[in-house]
This record gives sequence, C-alpha cells and structure tokens, in this order.
Amino acid sequence: MTFSGFVGHEDAKLALILNAIDFNCGGVLFVGEKGSGKTTLARLFRNLLPEQTPFVEIPLNVTEDVLLGGIDLEGTIRSGRKVFQRGILDRAHGGVIYIDDINLLSPELIALILEAQGRGENIIEREGLALKHPVRFILVASMNPEEGALSPHLLDRFGMCVLWESIKKPALRIEVMKEAVPELIMNDEDEAQDEKLRQQTARSLLVLKNMKIPEGVKEYITAKCMENCISGHRGDLFLLYASRAYAAFCGCEEVTEKHVDEVLPLVLTHRKRILKQMEKQQREQKEEKQQSKQDEHTDRQKQSNPQSEKTNPEKPHHDSNLEMDNPDASLKESTPQEEVFPLGNTFKTRHFVFRKDRLNRIASGRRTKTKSKDKGGRYVKSILQPRKDIAIDATIRAAAPFQKIRGREEMLLIHDEDLRFKQREKKMGHLAIFVVDGSGSMGAQGRMVETKGAIQSLLMDCYQKRDMVSMIVFRKEKAEVVLSPTSSVENASKRLREIPVGGKTPLTAGLLEAYKLIKRVMFKAPETRFLVMLITDGRANHSISKAPIGEEIEKVSQLLRGLRFTDFIVVDTENKKGFIKTDLALQIASQLGADYYTIENIRSEFLTELVLIKRKELF
Amino acid sequence: MRPFPFTAIVGQEEMKLALVLNVIDPSIGGLLIMGEKGTAKSTAVRALADLLPEMEVVKDCPFNCDPGGFLCNQCREVLGSEEHLHRERKKMRVVELPLGVTEDRLVGTLDIEHALKKGEKRFEPGILASANRNFLYVDEVNLLEDHIVDLLLDSAAMGVNTVEREGISFTHPAKFILVGTMNPEEGDLRPQLLDRFGLCVRVVSIQDKGERMEILRRRAAFDADPEDFLMARSSEQRDLAGKIIRAKDRLNSIRITDDILGKIVDITCSLNLDGHRPDIVIMKSARALSAFREKDTIEQDDIRDAAALSLSHRLKRLPFDDIGSESKKMQSILWGMQA
Repeated sequence: MTFSGFVGHEDAKLALILNAIDFNCGGVLFVGEKGSGKTTLARLFRNLLPEQTPFVEIPLNVTEDVLLGGIDLEGTIRSGRKVFQRGILDRAHGGVIYIDDINLLSPELIALILEAQGRGENIIEREGLALKHPVRFILVASMNPEEGALSPHLLDRFGMCVLWESIKKPALRIEVMKEAVPELIMNDEDEAQDEKLRQQTARSLLVLKNMKIPEGVKEYITAKCMENCISGHRGDLFLLYASRAYAAFCGCEEVTEKHVDEVLPLVLTHRKRILKQMEKQQREQKEEKQQSKQDEHTDRQKQSNPQSEKTNPEKPHHDSNLEMDNPDASLKESTPQEEVFPLGNTFKTRHFVFRKDRLNRIASGRRTKTKSKDKGGRYVKSILQPRKDIAIDATIRAAAPFQKIRGREEMLLIHDEDLRFKQREKKMGHLAIFVVDGSGSMGAQGRMVETKGAIQSLLMDCYQKRDMVSMIVFRKEKAEVVLSPTSSVENASKRLREIPVGGKTPLTAGLLEAYKLIKRVMFKAPETRFLVMLITDGRANHSISKAPIGEEIEKVSQLLRGLRFTDFIVVDTENKKGFIKTDLALQIASQLGADYYTIENIRSEFLTELVLIKRKELF
Repeated sequence: MRPFPFTAIVGQEEMKLALVLNVIDPSIGGLLIMGEKGTAKSTAVRALADLLPEMEVVKDCPFNCDPGGFLCNQCREVLGSEEHLHRERKKMRVVELPLGVTEDRLVGTLDIEHALKKGEKRFEPGILASANRNFLYVDEVNLLEDHIVDLLLDSAAMGVNTVEREGISFTHPAKFILVGTMNPEEGDLRPQLLDRFGLCVRVVSIQDKGERMEILRRRAAFDADPEDFLMARSSEQRDLAGKIIRAKDRLNSIRITDDILGKIVDITCSLNLDGHRPDIVIMKSARALSAFREKDTIEQDDIRDAAALSLSHRLKRLPFDDIGSESKKMQSILWGMQA
C-alpha cells in the first residue's frame, strides 16, 4: 500500500506533507472513529520521508526512563561511571514519533513529549545524570474520542488536527477494502506517485527559507484567528508556518491569503471553542431582544429575588405569568397529574476536572488520577519514597555506577540507598450521584425532555470514565433512591427514562438523601470519591422541617460541604431564554461550593470531542 | 493428556466455524464468544489447536519465529552472524491470559535475575511472546483491567509487540488468534474494544434432549478411554485438518470481484456502521469461507454467513443503544440477499 494510493482523507495527507516540509508546523493529531484508517495512513507517512529518517512508535507500555533516556545498565557497570542510554526522544531526532491512541497514554508522559518538542531539546535530570540534547521530530498521533478526551492544554500544543470520518461513498469503500488485500491490486503507478511526492517535498524544503510573507498576509492570519475565537497565540504562529509550508508545496514564492484559507481548518479546528462563538452570537441576539422588550419587564429585578420564592412554598407556578410566550407550558405545569417525558438529544459533555488528591488508594476507573496503592496500574516511573513495590530496574541502574568501587565479582552489590520504588498510576472512577428534580416545574415547556437528554449525556461520560452511578429523584413530598450505586450505566439509563414529573419540589429532601447515601457508602468504602450532580431548576417549594426553605437548604448544604472527597456539580435546567430567570439554582450552587452549569454549557466546547459535527458547518 | 477431539464436539456449529475461519486466515482478527459457562468454549479452542498439524519455527526461539517470516531482534542477530537458522516443528498451543495479569508479564520486561547476577541487560519475554503464532485465550475478557485490555488489543491489531520500558527496547512479532469469552451479564466491553474482535458468536447450552444425551455419552467414553476414543475419531480428524490446510493454501487464489465487494458495502452502508473494519472483516471471512467450502470465488451465501459472524457485535455503537431494531434490520438484509 502506498501513501498516494490511500483512499480519501486528502486533508490528513496534506497535513502530513506540510509537516514533512517544515518541522515548525507542530505535528498533527488525527481524531476519529474506530477503524477508519488513522493508523494506516500515519504509518504510510514513512513513504514520503528520506530513507534513513527515524520513525519511532511509542507503545502504551512506555516508561519514563525509556522515553527520556537514562543510565545504561551494562555500560555503567562495566566502566564504573555513568553511561547514558539514549531514549526514544533521542532516537527519533530528525524523524517522526507516532503515538497510537494518545488519549490512553498517561497525560504526564504526553506532557513530557510535547514539552521536549516545544522546547526543541530534551533536558535530562534523572538517575544522577544531567545533560541535554537537541530534539526535533514530527509528532503524529491518533485518538478515538469515544475512548476519552485529551485535555485542551495538550491539544493546543498540536500544530494541526484532522477530524476523520470513515468514507461513506460505496465506490470508495470498495477501494478501501481492496487496499486491505494487497494481492488484489498491484499498482506501480502509486509507487511512482509516492516518489514524485517525495521529490516535491524535498524541493519545497529548499524554497521554504526564502519564502516571502507579506505583512498583509500576517494581518490576515491574525484577523482569522480572532474571528474564530482562538485562545492563545499558538494558533497564529502555527497558521503562519502551515501557510508558508503550503505555499512552498505549491511552488510559490510568496504566501497569499489563498494559502492561508487552504490550511486554516487544519490549524484551527481543535482550537475553536464552539461555545465561545455561540455565546457571542447569543449575546448579540439577546441584546437586540432585550432592547425591544425592556419596557414590559421593569419589575424583573424584584421577581427574580430568590428569597421571595423560597418563603412562598405554596406558590406552585410562580412563573406561569412570566412565560407569556408559551401559555401552554404554564398550564401543563399547574396541572397535578404526572407525566413521563422521553429522552432528549444527547451530546458530548465537557471535561470536568477535579482536584487530584494525595491519598494512595486501590482504584479503578478513569476519571481522576490517583496514586495507586496496590500493584495494579501502570508503572510510570520510579521514585525514592519507600513503598512495597520495588522498581528493580531503577534500583539496578542506581547501583550500577558503584559496582566497581564496591568490588563486585559476580552478583551485583545492591545497598539500601540504591532502592527505588515504582510509582504506578491508575485513573480512579467516582461514585456519581445524580440528584434529579422530578417536580412539576421541570415539565414546563417540555424542559424535562432536554434535561433527560443532558442526564443521559452525563451518564455517557460516566461510562467512559468507568464511574459508578446512583440516582436520587425528589418530587412530591419526598426524595427516593431509585438506583443504588451500580456500575451498570445501562440500568441508570433505564431508570432515567422512567422518571415521572409532577408535584412539589422537596429539594432539601433530595440533598439530604444524597448526604445519607454518601455516609453509607463511606462507611463501607472509605476511599471512594463522590460526585454529586444536582439537576434542578432550583425552585424548591416543599420543606421537610418547620424552618423556611432557604434556611433548610443552607443547613443541608453545609452538611454536604463538610464531606471529604466530594465534588458537586449543579446543572441548572431553568430556561434562560425566558424573560425572567430566577437563577435560584445558581444560588444553591454557591452554597454547595459547586461547579455551576446550565444545560446549554455542559456541552463540550471542543470540537475534537465532537467528531460527529461535520466540518463544513464550521468554516 | 490429549484434549477432546474437535470433531466430536456436539453442536455449537457457529463457534466451530468461526474458529476454523480464523485458522484459515488469521488476519480476520480473532473471535469473541459470548455466552454462559460450560458451553465447550475452551474445549473447542484446545481441540482445534490439537487438530492442526505442526508448524515450522526457529529452534529455541521464545517467540516461535517463522523462519521465513518476520523475525524478532534475536533471530535477526543470529541470522546476521550465522547466516542460517535452526528449525524445529512445534504444535500450535493455546496460551491463556489470566485475569490478574500484570503489564510487565503481558508485554515482557527486563530479566531481573540476569541483571542481578551478570550485570547485563536482557529481555524477558512475556505472554505476548509465547502467544506468537498460537491461540491467545482470554476467559472473561470483560473483567480484565482496562489498561491491560488496551495493551492487548494494541499488539493484536499490529501483530507486533513493541516494548519500551524499564530500560529495555525490544520488538518481536505477536501474531496470535485472539479468542475472548465473556458473559454479557457480568458487564459490558466497550464498543471500541468489541470492534477489535474480528468475529463474534453467541453460544447457549443445547436444549435438545437427544443432543444433550449425546454430549454425555461422548464425554463419558472419552474419559473412560481417551486413546480408544481418539482412535475411533482419527480419520474424521484427519479429514478436517486436511480440509483446513487446503483452504489455507487456496485462500489467495479465491477471486474477489467488484460486484462481490459492492454487495458487502451494501450491507454495511445500510446498517450505518463505524469505520472500515466491518467491510474488511466480512470480505476476509467470506473469502476464507469460500476456500473452506472448496470454491474458487466468493458467492452470496459466503457473504451472508460471513456478515452474520462479523456484524452482531458491531451494531451497538453506544453503550445504551437499543440494538433490537438494528439486529432485526440486519437479519432482514441478510435473508433478503438470498431471494
């Protein structure tokens, strides 16, 4: 199979070619569904490069010492002084590093690779060695976003990003199949085509240095980046290099705006924040709307005062007069009967980050990193702090330089001070407790459909992170655990479908139930981390004690905040597009010290997590 | 002790066929067997390995390198210095991957003893090394630790194990037929991992009274006198082995027309499946089927049967997807082909 013969994905091929022309292009990340040929193309990249170019693949089993380089065991023992063993970064110098499934690699290791690439040198300060050497390589990586995301910070370091979809056109799919059976096609033409590409790349390298970049084009680049709401300046710089390489590839002497436009999607796709752009648009729309409706709602301030609502628990549809543009919905809300709403659309949720804690624990799951106490988990690096798990390789390396002095004859002489220990890392899942508001107000305007879609999306996220889940529903007079902690996200999804809506809002009861549940689980599994996701519009109107609702919520919130290892997320389901919003959920969020999201903004803002969105819609 | 003969296994035809197809063309990518305990899953794998003739390997190579194929670092060195490799013949084995396996045991690591005694660095091969050119059997693959599964599927897909850990950099071939079993009630496998298994079959215990009796009878006869039982079956065993070998030989001469490929794409497009792996797996297993059925070209029924084995585990794209309707759709498409 040849590079030129690879069917489709011209943008990915262009990205590789541009990187081959100029190292400064910053590498490329392929993001796409399983089995769509990402790895195959990355490997064919070799065909484009001069014969002796190193091409190193980093497997998932890599440890830090091999990545960066360290003590060479044999040489050191023999000579009695420290001999350096080249690491992967050094071996790849002047060539390509390819990482398959980069999102499954430890972020710590990814950061090391990207850092060295950015700096252009590898600084080694480990195992008693202190040296540095230049590193220059093209980083090519692939990932399937369904397996988990790469943090935006790491994403930003990649010069280019290509979103993949498998080819849908039947005729082309047939071609893809043929590629899989080399006996079926013998094509010398493609070989020749590869050779031509190789030469064209080599020629482009020569003209690159003298390429002119007019000021106007630089301005154009900056303007484009700002227009697309790009954060940081890496985008501008990478766009400049990519345009320059593309101009060279085209055989031009000067970069033009056309060149910029051509490479723009490659450089900006993963830096775009859809959300920011949407917010901008929304803000503009809202401003217009507000202008026209301002007069009608001069009393808005007063009614949005949360306290007034909480002290009036018996006012079930407090907002019926507010949602004037949909009288239907307010009617529904005031009727006492129950209704079960279907699931709304699901989406990829944003990346929630929680504090990394210092506790060593026995863990499984993928959400938050923890140091691992048992011997499971991935051995990432060796450390000096004693624990049960000796890193023999590192220990031997530490002892190596002293073997001559210690007078070794056969067996190595290992002293206490040589001992090194394994640091293993495992991602830990949480117990995610969904506390869902099932009161009547949630049914307004079919809001529950969207809400269920959002919860389903959060469940999806739990599944990917291997969280345990549990669900509490509060409605009418009480809160109820409808799903005890389980790892079956599928069961949770079933329960979710069944949740009816109707009745009052005993929000305090819901929170209290969560508190009791956490206490129970803590008793059995004291190391569990908890994530409480409160999904409500915040319109609490049923108290469980004689105290006013506001006070009640405050008290329970305090209880919850006192819990160890518990994070909170409040998802506000209130319709923020309505004329009057109470923002009651926001207030509860602040009492809980919770991260606050609306249904709209728990969506992921990163395109790479949303491969299903067609590129065309974005640029 | 010799295992129970493959040809004496009652029923479970789909599973037996899927195993045979993987032997004919190992690039199909293994088999996932879903079903309850005690349905002859591991018996069938062991029996099939035993049925097959010996293969040629480099003598004393821990990776069972094929003297004419891709060699490990060690064999390449030997070939470079001595200019030829000693050969020996070995039977195919079933290597098991235990659930508690650690990463270093799986991929291999620094030979600690050698390092301590001699002060020299040497690679200690792991399970992936012994699995090369053999069956790798993973019972309850859905209960394996996440990062172990990642590593396993990584080398299964590449056919190569690249080790970069603990001061060791080593590459060796790791081409094995991956056979995983799981009981879906005990937890799911991620859709991404399901996709890495070439074929998938569901097994249930046999409900037919007569067949169950036959299972009992054969098992009792085998336990009472294995030698005698094997002897009685030997010609059947030889016939099947011969058929498999012949199919392997003719595999590359099977004709694949654009028309045939078009039919495969019709199926996968109408089911809206991810990626190109389903297309390729159907094609390869249809080709193996056609070879096994002693034909020169792939026909409708080969595609239909291959698709049935290749698609059931790929219909579900997300963990909550209800696949009832999709699987009905698949059935109707596959059966529609016959008319």
